[in-house]
Amino acid sequence: MTRTEITQDEINVIFPKVAETMADALGCDVAKVKPNASLIDDLGAESIDFLDIVFRLERAFKVKIPRGKIVEEARGTLSEAEFEKGGVVTAAGLQRLKEFLSEVPAERFGSSLQVASIPRLFTPETFCKIVIRQQRSAPAAATPAA
Amino acid sequence: MNDHFCAFSFVDRIHPGKAPNHIRGSYLVPAGVCAFPASLAAEAVGQLAAWAAMDAVNYERRPVAGIASRFELLNSPQPGQLLDLSVDIETIDSDAIAYSGTASANGVPLIHLEHCVGPMVAVADFDDPQALRERFALLCGSGATPGRFGGIPPLIPDRIGGEPGSSATAVFQVPTNGAFFADHFPRRPVFPGSLLMHAKLELARALASEAPPAPGGAWVLSAVLDMKLRAFIPPGKILDMEARFTDRSSESSTIALETRSGERSMGSARVLMTSTPIP
Repeated sequence: MTRTEITQDEINVIFPKVAETMADALGCDVAKVKPNASLIDDLGAESIDFLDIVFRLERAFKVKIPRGKIVEEARGTLSEAEFEKGGVVTAAGLQRLKEFLSEVPAERFGSSLQVASIPRLFTPETFCKIVIRQQRSAPAAATPAA
Repeated sequence: MNDHFCAFSFVDRIHPGKAPNHIRGSYLVPAGVCAFPASLAAEAVGQLAAWAAMDAVNYERRPVAGIASRFELLNSPQPGQLLDLSVDIETIDSDAIAYSGTASANGVPLIHLEHCVGPMVAVADFDDPQALRERFALLCGSGATPGRFGGIPPLIPDRIGGEPGSSATAVFQVPTNGAFFADHFPRRPVFPGSLLMHAKLELARALASEAPPAPGGAWVLSAVLDMKLRAFIPPGKILDMEARFTDRSSESSTIALETRSGERSMGSARVLMTSTPIP
């Protein structure tokens, strides 16, 4: 189950709660939180807001989100050296990132992407997918003994 | 006098908690200070959490003020009181600490902090890791000598505009010097977030007094919600502040607070006020 692709239906189910959580964290109208908005460029999020969003999502969805490891997760099976050189994402890294962040419009990646700029790509839908992945990987509820 | 661990340190002793993620401490408010605002009681709880965080990561990182989802002001702390501090830690790692906590005196709760997040920064940029390690051992052992806090200067924003009873704009100049800067922090002086909150609450109180809920009533500040500090504030910084009523009924009201430096938002919060009859 954990390996299957995340469906749009799954995203649609949790998006309203994710959007509401982000609006609370950013102090903005929930209508501004569109699935593909850039959290930094469109919604003005700063690093403290990302922390706020992560902790609020953890409480709202009762999951643990691996803070600071989103980029590491995006790297997948690529080694650090394969993923980036001198702080710039390699071609292989960019390809992997586009797959991982499939919700991000292709033109936002550009031809040269700094590793430090990866969070600029994150959207509300990115966090929907993170929540869904964490929900899937959470241990199943204990089954009462027969 | 060396102000490190004196001028802005509000934990005298640290005790083991009743559970692995629980830590307790105490602080004696000097009887000689003229006031001890609720924001300093919140600072004491935050400092207890910070000690737990620093010790957990071997003094390589330390938390700084970031987010408090809810800060309840239940009773006013008084000079001479022994504060019992209690912190429940949700998580600690190299990025952040998340916790909730309470300060009480004689069994009476004074303030409660809910869902606070402190982003972690490199300790060595702000303080001497070895001095902190030794201080923690002292606090966990015989305890610090109490009574070394000398109070804070008046921190009143200068009102410059707004619509009386509806909004208020003000300029606030962060002090250029003050004993607390030597303690917060020795290697990089930063205006404490709790003092910024104190100044903002002064502006909120001034605005609230202009629009009482009903004849014979007054607004009493009951909680600060969604408090967020976005940047380090150095000594002498000039800040723009705004307070604005966003909701108002006969029983309660909300004031939104915003602090800016130019176009940059430095911090924000919402203040919840409840209507109380004037005795």
